[in-house]
Amino acid sequence: MRPIIKAERLGKKYYLGPRETAPPTLREALKNSLHSKVKTISGGNRSRHPSVWALQDVSFEIQPGEVVGVIGRNGAGKSTLLRILARITKPTVGKADLYGRTGSLLGVGTGFHPDLTGRENIYLNGAILGMNRSEITRKFDEIVAFAQVENFLDTPAKRYSSGMYLRLGFAIAAHLEPDILLLDEVLTIADASFQKKCLGKIKQASREGTSVLFVSHNLGAVQDLSDRAFYVHSGRLHAEGKPDTLIGNYLKDVAVQASASD
Amino acid sequence: MSTSLNDAKALISDVSPPAWYRQVPAEPVTRIRPSKSWEHLDFAELWAQREVFYFLMWRDLKVRYKQTIIGAAWVILQPMLITLVFAVFLGGLMRVPSDGVPYPIFAYTALLLWTFVSNAVLSSSYSLVTNAHLITRVYFSRLLIPAATVGVRLVDLVVASLVLVALIVYYDVHLGWRILLFPFFVIEIAALTLALGLLGASLNVRYRDVGTVLPILLQVWMFVSPIVYASTIVPPRLRFVYAINPLAGIIEGARSSLFNLPFRWPSIITSVVITLSMLIFSIHVFLRMENGFADEV
Repeated sequence: MRPIIKAERLGKKYYLGPRETAPPTLREALKNSLHSKVKTISGGNRSRHPSVWALQDVSFEIQPGEVVGVIGRNGAGKSTLLRILARITKPTVGKADLYGRTGSLLGVGTGFHPDLTGRENIYLNGAILGMNRSEITRKFDEIVAFAQVENFLDTPAKRYSSGMYLRLGFAIAAHLEPDILLLDEVLTIADASFQKKCLGKIKQASREGTSVLFVSHNLGAVQDLSDRAFYVHSGRLHAEGKPDTLIGNYLKDVAVQASASD
Repeated sequence: MSTSLNDAKALISDVSPPAWYRQVPAEPVTRIRPSKSWEHLDFAELWAQREVFYFLMWRDLKVRYKQTIIGAAWVILQPMLITLVFAVFLGGLMRVPSDGVPYPIFAYTALLLWTFVSNAVLSSSYSLVTNAHLITRVYFSRLLIPAATVGVRLVDLVVASLVLVALIVYYDVHLGWRILLFPFFVIEIAALTLALGLLGASLNVRYRDVGTVLPILLQVWMFVSPIVYASTIVPPRLRFVYAINPLAGIIEGARSSLFNLPFRWPSIITSVVITLSMLIFSIHVFLRMENGFADEV
């Protein structure tokens, strides 16, 4: 079977420290550009600034219908990976090809428009996914029922509680039938009952052919859901394989580091 | 657990057509690559996301025209009040030349267009910053955000044009064949505005003092353009320099078409050439900086 996601040597570099590369004001930028010739001669170029590879040399393939859990410590580069695949930010090097429509839910913010009502946000998100209105209308009731927001459909999203935000965001991302579903830390924030619902929905989506790539610190969920796991460590795809093996390795590493710092 | 799920999948695929029926297309739907120095405008993507454009526009319009009377009134009042002031001081007291057209309608025509330019450039320059929550969470062509903002102001322009129609009736302006070109000048001014809005928006993400500089520049621009006076006050030998400002050709052209005066083709053609070049340049700059928006906004 052909993979639905193919990533080759993805890398993302961030520049740190004082933003000399991007002055905060236009006035300074203009002033600096006058000095730029002098700077180039004296070697003060961009590469001298401190930088960090948030992600480096990450290659993988994901099959249709496959559920992959991404684990790793905070700052390991898990979210950066998802942000690149969701096209929020571009990689510095490498490439990835996605052979399907991508739905994403990255963090609690969800990309709702706060001034639009729940109903309108469902249509907006559908439009972003490239769906037309009749397609969205077909899925509408299911989304609303899943998110339990029937009574708040005409309330602007900014008045939603964070739980409602999350529920509706997840419902939209999962029900609009993307071919690829990217989820970042969704399960960690949800309460127990909604978590269970999410897990069920992810399994169902996977059965219907959706590939799911999700980041979670909920190791139980990773073990329960994933066909495969990625262990990301300091920006690299440290290991990939069976979820239980990787979770074991990950916990071991965490324990070693904890005792080392004692 | 995961193995049992796999087993279940294998079982299903044995009895019926594979449950993961979705065919993987031969060509990628999305290609993710590092930023290039020259990004191409993806027309297919823009077309696929036209509903996003519609939603962004519709949301702003809804907020503006929620209380219909007040919303529409404000849009009409702004150019009207400014016209009133200029009509009293420039038209009445100073007798500024207005191509033989009654000064109030002469000024209103231009101020209507100018209000559009000024408001649209300002609000689209801020559009990326105010939509930061969308930019950092979901992907869609970022170009749609400033474009939708300009679209909203274009609707305002249409609403405020009702007063122009009233003035045409009141001053008994005789329309001629040249009025047919009026829509062309509206399109051209929208293109010019979009060009500046895109430029302002991408600069504003990185340099936050753009918002401070813009109103000053806009004010200067208004007075170097033939808005509250006719460009005939500029000596003929300097007309060429004056026409470098594309707004000069557009405003003059729009007024000529409305009052059925002869077109000054050199300045109109200059304005078209400059507007198009600016639009291409701005889109290029925007697409280059677009990649950094989510990291910087």
